[in-house]
Amino acid sequence: MDTWLLFIYKVPNEPSARRVYVWRKLKGMGAILLHDSAWILPLNPRAREKLQWLASEIKEMDGGEAMLWESKQIFTGQDIDLVQQFVNQVDTLYKDILNQLQRKNPDLAALSRQYQLASAQDYFQSELGKKVYETLLELRRKGES
Amino acid sequence: MKWVTWEFIGVDRMGCAWLILRFIDKQAEFIFIPAGSTSIPENCEPFDIPGVRLSHRGEHSTFHTILNEYHLDDPLLHRIANIIDEADVAQNVILERIAEGLDFICRGMRLISANDQIAVERGQLIYEALYAQLKSEAPQ
Repeated sequence: MDTWLLFIYKVPNEPSARRVYVWRKLKGMGAILLHDSAWILPLNPRAREKLQWLASEIKEMDGGEAMLWESKQIFTGQDIDLVQQFVNQVDTLYKDILNQLQRKNPDLAALSRQYQLASAQDYFQSELGKKVYETLLELRRKGES
Repeated sequence: MKWVTWEFIGVDRMGCAWLILRFIDKQAEFIFIPAGSTSIPENCEPFDIPGVRLSHRGEHSTFHTILNEYHLDDPLLHRIANIIDEADVAQNVILERIAEGLDFICRGMRLISANDQIAVERGQLIYEALYAQLKSEAPQ
């Protein structure tokens, strides 16, 4: 993974709803906050498009500024740590689902929805994600029989 | 009329092209410029390019904007606009279960089409099918 999407933006402090709005969107995509307002995502066409539009939304706000870059790492090896951060982030979500699946009478409908939201930000095909998928399938089969 | 947008169309632009051909301009011709380009050829109506009249507005897709600009009030078209809003704009609250599937199919359609003209033609069938299915489910 050597090309990344870098998203840098500034939104005025007030009204705070707009800051929260932008923050939620970035979190929802599974972006990682590198520094104050520099976010990073692995390059993929879907995220690229969404960030493009988010940037133009921010620019339309009074005093809003946003920049989107495709960037390549110059020092090799920087990506290893980053990839791990993305995997850890989505694995936290997957672990939570797995824990709930191990309880008695888990709510499979709700948990499958949680799985879908988590897998939308699984950029590196986490092993744990496969496990959640298999577990949900298995429990569904059991429920049917 | 000539309509211009960025190349490599996805769910929103494919839907817009259908909407334009079906309800606004039956003789519409589409021109595609490189993604990111802001030099709009003369006498063309640009759409789904940041900053132009027919583009995203807030959390809404360009399809949504075109509906409003051309005063199309068919409720089924507004339903399609909601679906595209959820597919194309990073929304956190998801109500339309077909949104993500539609997004995937439109992206895939572009992948198997040699160019954007062909993708627009094939996209007509996708949106016509979506419209027909929504119609069949709508209360009479």
